[in-house]
Amino acid sequence: MSFTLSELEHDALVEIFNIGVGQAAAAMSGIVNEAVTMSVPSISFLNRADAAALLGHRGEQAQRICGVSQHYEGAFETEAILMFPEDKSLEIVRLMVGELVPLSELTEMEQEAMSEIGNIILNSCVGTLANIFEQELQGSLPVYHVGTSEDILSASGSAADSVVMMLHIDFILEMHQIHGYVAFILDVSALRDLKEQINLYLSRVMGRN
Amino acid sequence: MELEANRLGLLESVLGAVHLGAIVLDTQGRIVLWNRWMEQYSAMPASDVLCRDFYTLFPEMRSQRIGMAIQQALVSNFPSLLSQTLNKSPFPLHANRSAAARGERLQQAIAVTPVTVAAGAGERHCLIQITDVSIAANREKVLREQAMVLRSQTFSDGLTGVANRRHFDVAIDKEQRRAKRNGGKLSLLMIDIDCFKAYNDHYGHQHGDQCLIQVSAALTAMLHRSTDLLARYGGEEFAIILPDTDAEQAMKMAESLRQRVLALDLEHRYAAEGNGQVTVSVGVATHSPEQPFDVPALIGAADRALYAAKRAGRNRVAAHQA
Amino acid sequence: MESVKQILVVDDSRVSRLMARQYILSMHAGWLVEEAASGEEALQKIEGYTPDLILIDVNMPGMGGLAAAEQLRARLPHTHISLLTANVQTATRNRAAEIGVAFMEKPITEARVAQLIAPLEA
Repeated sequence: MSFTLSELEHDALVEIFNIGVGQAAAAMSGIVNEAVTMSVPSISFLNRADAAALLGHRGEQAQRICGVSQHYEGAFETEAILMFPEDKSLEIVRLMVGELVPLSELTEMEQEAMSEIGNIILNSCVGTLANIFEQELQGSLPVYHVGTSEDILSASGSAADSVVMMLHIDFILEMHQIHGYVAFILDVSALRDLKEQINLYLSRVMGRN
Repeated sequence: MELEANRLGLLESVLGAVHLGAIVLDTQGRIVLWNRWMEQYSAMPASDVLCRDFYTLFPEMRSQRIGMAIQQALVSNFPSLLSQTLNKSPFPLHANRSAAARGERLQQAIAVTPVTVAAGAGERHCLIQITDVSIAANREKVLREQAMVLRSQTFSDGLTGVANRRHFDVAIDKEQRRAKRNGGKLSLLMIDIDCFKAYNDHYGHQHGDQCLIQVSAALTAMLHRSTDLLARYGGEEFAIILPDTDAEQAMKMAESLRQRVLALDLEHRYAAEGNGQVTVSVGVATHSPEQPFDVPALIGAADRALYAAKRAGRNRVAAHQA
Repeated sequence: MESVKQILVVDDSRVSRLMARQYILSMHAGWLVEEAASGEEALQKIEGYTPDLILIDVNMPGMGGLAAAEQLRARLPHTHISLLTANVQTATRNRAAEIGVAFMEKPITEARVAQLIAPLEA
């Protein structure tokens, strides 16, 4: 992996995304009338194959997972995808909706709810990023996917050697703790843009005295 | 060119004919478009709402998900989706006047998207699209109920036909969350047949089974609301979940149940307190929404109450605060 | 000559701590800003001194901001303490009120820091 961030750059990114998911948690808390907490304990930069592997290969079979993706472009371009590993898939939807329905019975209505959850979390993350970088972006409406992690990560048609910025997400609702991921697929120029924006941000913030 | 001149007229006709609600807000949050579909289902003519501030007309929406979505569109340039499942009918839209009288709103799926009015320095506006998904939502409800019926067949106790322990576990969790959402009081009854072991030992297991069947039937007959659930919790133990029931009501119900079992007049010569018939002890616990919710705590309280009833001499009801 | 105030910034994010420090010092160059990367470290630091103001992030590993704020409030009844969080919801608001600490939304901006240090300037 040739792309690396300095400790300070990494810290800045983690903090920015923690703010983003924090705001998303506040919004979801308003919807379910429960305490909801979300945090980003860490970020990794991986190639697509390694990123796919994070989402669970139980034995020989690649597991089916659910993902919600949105495309963003403007100051930088990326495909952002919220994903949960199979055994946790849609537990969040069930908790938010208040029904206990097995994955196979998940209806279109509940898929729509999952899309909205993805929409809230992704817009919050990218919105905070854009806001703090003082940059303008456009986004798309959410798209719901079911498949293996490989299927979902390659659905947007990105090159196989794209870098995936993986946010590890902890989601806590009613004493259920669920671990998921937000993946940002970035090509070489997007990575460059990102690094540049982080540094501009740091110099804006640090170079005050 | 003729095509250009007709274009505006064409677009207006299309907006008037589409089968969805279209609202456009300008940068200041004023309504600048309110199409015919909106007029029809909101019973608010465009002339009443155009140029008015959106939140003046719908003040409660400012702090809801839709307010957040409008903000994201106008400020961050991001579109948002509001699913029917997570957002219960935010707009006051009704299928017809009688539905409006009943307070029955259309089920709505909403998309909020940023739109630029003119290229270049174009001011950003916000389009709110509303789709009526009532039919799909109702169909799903029917399917879900049918699935629930099928599933309950694996959720019933083989002997008595009432809900089994697995069903109880699922249901208490669901009711707990519903109580939390609605702020209702949830009550739990734990019912144990007194000296059941002695009954089995002396009358035999076949009679023991018959006793269980009769007692559970008597208990079932006393429950009238679809939300109340009777489950066989253990060998001779039953649990009843009573949503939206306060402590006083729960006690009354518990006492009625106790008496109903007495009315069965099932002989039990080997009952400890010399009652001569089959009796039950009932433990009652009620949870209030002000307390932090904890299913094990509620069950524990009902158990303690049941134990207290036993110790006080059986064939009685006792309550314990969760 | 204005009096020197002491502020303790508690946040596991180094960038957050640096930002808070920069904003504070840009408004009051002579004030003293101490940092702690965790609730545990903050509790250790206050053994040695009493800050006038503590800014504490809610979302931290280990003890967490709420638990730390509670203990800090118990040990320093007169120090201004403010929680910082991006997740503004009823449960947190209520908890802050219960503990007896103030509450400020993240991200940290110059305006918000100005609001936080206002009680010290009075």
